[in-house]
Amino acid sequence: MRAMLLAAMLLVCSGALATPQIAAKRVDMRQALDDLALAASNHGMTIVKVQPIDNALVKRGYDNPHVRLAFIGSETAVRWAEAADPRLLNLLPLRFALIQQGDQVLVMTDDLAIWMPYFSDTPGRRLLEGWEAELKDLLQDFLAQ
Amino acid sequence: MTHAMRTLLVVILVGLLLPLGLARAMEPEPPLLTVSLPGMALDEAYENVLRSINQHNYTFVRDQAIDSRLVPQQWEARNVRIVYFCNFSKMDRALSLDVRAAQFLPCRITLIEQDDRVDLVAINPAWASQNLGNPLLHPLCLELKRDYLAIMEEASL
Repeated sequence: MRAMLLAAMLLVCSGALATPQIAAKRVDMRQALDDLALAASNHGMTIVKVQPIDNALVKRGYDNPHVRLAFIGSETAVRWAEAADPRLLNLLPLRFALIQQGDQVLVMTDDLAIWMPYFSDTPGRRLLEGWEAELKDLLQDFLAQ
Repeated sequence: MTHAMRTLLVVILVGLLLPLGLARAMEPEPPLLTVSLPGMALDEAYENVLRSINQHNYTFVRDQAIDSRLVPQQWEARNVRIVYFCNFSKMDRALSLDVRAAQFLPCRITLIEQDDRVDLVAINPAWASQNLGNPLLHPLCLELKRDYLAIMEEASL
């Protein structure tokens, strides 16, 4: 019975579309944030906010998910988004989830490709493609720090 | 009731309910939830959103201009404001089910003022979970979606 249920769930799950970009590095959370800040800076971007949701949950008595968020932006990205399609503002600043797993930190970004069908005929699509490439380069830079 | 009968009952119930659940899970979701507030200024809409967040058992986390910390404060855009808020119990449940929920939590509503209205826009968590393909996470995301809509609808009143 459980196997049948699991099989049914996997059938639904097999439609997964999002494939976030992920980079893993053997550092602690603080070092990962420093390296991410440097990588962002190399790409003309800035960490505008770090959200320690691990601390926020622990403070309220929940388990520690070992997750922090870093929001990264640039003024250029905002101005282009405003001009191209204001719906893109919902994706800014770009979000990075940092997940501590043992002695390494996984950095995960949004999969911007899943948005492209909604911007197929607008300048927004070119902007999304540019951001996606930038995120990929930024993660490579993060690994190289 | 014998064990065999109980098993049969479970099989029948699952057989009846699973297709409904799957159908619901596969209903296409829009990527964005949008509620327009015609004739309202951004500051008024912002106050309404904050009040509505509190009334729906969520905690205000912070707000920021769309270009916060990217330009000097006095130059920040005044027509777009982001409000972050959270129900920590739901966040805990979501992250326990799938850490990728960090991609859409804490909750966020973007207020965009244009012409003579303010649009409240949020990324639909049910759409996000469909894209992640985790059926265990999806029911919670449907609940989050209902919360978003209730908060935004109430803010529009």
